[in-house]
Amino acid sequence: MNTIELQQTLPEVFAGRDGIVSDIWHRQVAFQKEKSYLIEAASGTGKSSLCSFVYGYRQDYQGIIAFDGTNVRKLHVADWVELRKRSLSMLFQELRLFAELTAWENVKLKNNLTGFRDKKEIRRWFEELGIADKWDQPIGRMSFGQQQRVAFIRALCQPADFIFLDEPVSHLDDGNGRLMARILTEEAAKQGFGIVVTSIGKHLPLEYDAVMQL
Amino acid sequence: MIWKLLKQHVSVSQLTGFFLANLCGMVIVLLSVQFYSDVLPAFTAGDSFLKKDYIIVSKRVSTLGSAVGQNTGFTEAEVSDLKTQPFTERVGEFRPAQFKVSAGMGLEGMQLSTAMFFESVPDGFVDVNLDGWHFEPGMQEIPIVIPRNYLNLYNFGFAQSRNMPQISEGMMGMMPLDIRLSGRGQVSRMQGRIVGFSDRLNTILVPESFLEWANSQYGEGVKEEPSRLILEVKNPADDRIAKYFKDKGYETENDKLDAGKTTWFLKVIVGIVLSVGLLISVLSFYLLMLSIYLLLQKNTTKLENLLLIGYSPAKVAAPYQGLTATLNAFVFILALVAVVLVRNAYLDRLTQLFPSLEAGSVWPACVAGAVLFVIVSLLNIFAIRKKIDKIWYRR
Repeated sequence: MNTIELQQTLPEVFAGRDGIVSDIWHRQVAFQKEKSYLIEAASGTGKSSLCSFVYGYRQDYQGIIAFDGTNVRKLHVADWVELRKRSLSMLFQELRLFAELTAWENVKLKNNLTGFRDKKEIRRWFEELGIADKWDQPIGRMSFGQQQRVAFIRALCQPADFIFLDEPVSHLDDGNGRLMARILTEEAAKQGFGIVVTSIGKHLPLEYDAVMQL
Repeated sequence: MIWKLLKQHVSVSQLTGFFLANLCGMVIVLLSVQFYSDVLPAFTAGDSFLKKDYIIVSKRVSTLGSAVGQNTGFTEAEVSDLKTQPFTERVGEFRPAQFKVSAGMGLEGMQLSTAMFFESVPDGFVDVNLDGWHFEPGMQEIPIVIPRNYLNLYNFGFAQSRNMPQISEGMMGMMPLDIRLSGRGQVSRMQGRIVGFSDRLNTILVPESFLEWANSQYGEGVKEEPSRLILEVKNPADDRIAKYFKDKGYETENDKLDAGKTTWFLKVIVGIVLSVGLLISVLSFYLLMLSIYLLLQKNTTKLENLLLIGYSPAKVAAPYQGLTATLNAFVFILALVAVVLVRNAYLDRLTQLFPSLEAGSVWPACVAGAVLFVIVSLLNIFAIRKKIDKIWYRR
């Protein structure tokens, strides 16, 4: 997949509102592979909705979302499963980790599915992001900032054309944000994926090709 | 790994409840199927050479009729009227021997001899598979079918009171009978061999070909009206038959009807037990579905997250489907074991009651159980998948 197009897309809940001022809603927007985008938004402007529309788990929008020209409403369950394994990666705002599994098990659950990374590589990221000591700890007993880093590592455990990060550094200090940005840049250079980051204040420090206001 | 995640909230007590309830239902269902197939032959066996839809018809012998010398034979007009009835498939006449017969047999040095009679029906009414139901002029051996009552009369009445050995059906078939035929001033000796027993036919039956030959040799050549008819009907339960017979004053031999009644009662009772078993099975299936639904409901977030990180609905459903299928399989196997145990217990008693009963197999229970297992498991698997699909579509 090379482009994600939004054609006049608008969440249904916004349909009645007048005067929507946005770089994305109700416009023609295209995200390209190998580029990086920052979407800045105030809360309640539909940032997470955008992610869920693109990731195929909500359909309550108007307009068209298209992957390489194919309307995503036409995709079947099996297509979505394949996309989520092979070309779309998502770091959810609410993380969607499994509290009863350990940090390593959470990552492994994804990696088992894709077989994309080896354990050593994952271990290295754990060390770089300063959570190596949490390897065998249940997610439920970790802070949100620590969990964000685990979810970030999990998001990298698959081949991707685009990676979406929904407020990835909301609970991280600047140091960890920079570490995360560095790993992401390295991986983007290797795989050539497009990066879409959302933020309501703190940004993941990257060289963005475009900054948009939602 | 998925299992580690999804096994949470699995309620052991609910599943145990399902397990026991389903086991209970399954055992009842399988046992009734097995019992039915084991016991049924006891009621239907015995008349290997007469099919079920044959009826034997005679006229009522009344005191007044006997006094005035009324004939109990069927006239040609009556026979052809019967042939035209809608329930009739075909009609055969019993042909009596027109000569004298006496039979004797030697047993432990003691000679028994008795006057007898022979009758025949057209060969088409006799099951052709019956071994040795065949006679040609020149043969010295006559195949004979006798009522089972005769043997019982001997075994339980005569032999016991005189301290003589009892004879089994198999032994009886091996014993030669000395048959003496006489008529038109001739006497000849032949051998008789008993090839079958009947519960339904109160006569001594020989092949038609023998009777034709013997009547021409020893008989007077007078054509007599048949006193009994054998009737093949389309449906023995047809109530027009009973009405017709009542109007005409005919009688049928009743024991067949009794066997029919017994099998009917057997069917009803087994049917009731079977429905109770099925009902319990259905309820337990419902219990399992509720339990699984509850489990899925409690794990909805987890299932949703699994789907969102790229697991397919099939993969997410698999652990639950596996769980139910395994449970069902255990129930099936345990139920079969229970049925085999119970069957061994009643089989002893059954063979005492019906010595001639051949031991069947447990196949009916196996097949019924397998069918039930497959249906229930498929329904479970299907229902779970539907539920997971619902989670995918967030409904």
